[in-house]
Amino acid sequence: MSNKLLLPNRYKKIGWAILIPSTILGVILAFHEFGEAWMHAPVFAMANDGINDNYKYFTVSDANITNTVIGLLFIIGAMLVSFSKEKTEDEFIAEIRLSSLLWAVCVSYILLLIAFVFVYGSPFLDVMVYNMFTVLIIFIIRFNYILYKNTKTAANEK
Amino acid sequence: MKNNIKVERAIKSLTQEDLANKVSVSRQTINAMEANKYVPSTVLALKIAKVFNKTVEEIFILEKGD
Repeated sequence: MSNKLLLPNRYKKIGWAILIPSTILGVILAFHEFGEAWMHAPVFAMANDGINDNYKYFTVSDANITNTVIGLLFIIGAMLVSFSKEKTEDEFIAEIRLSSLLWAVCVSYILLLIAFVFVYGSPFLDVMVYNMFTVLIIFIIRFNYILYKNTKTAANEK
Repeated sequence: MKNNIKVERAIKSLTQEDLANKVSVSRQTINAMEANKYVPSTVLALKIAKVFNKTVEEIFILEKGD
């Protein structure tokens, strides 16, 4: 079974090389804000905070790009890992891929549902931030876990 | 659906890896089929039968409830 949406296998390694450092940086960032001083750059904003409660649209402004850079790297890395072919991308792996995607979307929304009911006020903003990444994270964990489980039992028997 | 891939493999003394290479799938796929965790596509079933020089029915057997 061929899937034209998947990238060649070599992108998987590149993906991991981006994903792992950006995950570490992301976790640090979640607990301590850093890079305040030097990570400033002019950005083109399609929408931004304006004066009072008004939004500004399509302006160039100065912003701290720590979040932007780390978030971007994380998403690119996670997408490369998720959407690159395995060494032998066959029908069974395609099935695990599909079921893991279903799983990831489902679990991600269940977590959001729980957060909707039990989290209020500004902590909910954090929930929204994390929820942007849960689909990819859960997919990568579930897909690789199932693959690993099958490799392990395969290694045991001759 | 049951299958006797494992038995046929033993007769031909092929490892999971060998069989996987012959039908160009991953070793995980052969493993999952032997553990009855995965039902192969018709194409793969035919290819496996061809490797063992048997008919598909001799290797893959329907079970009650299928």
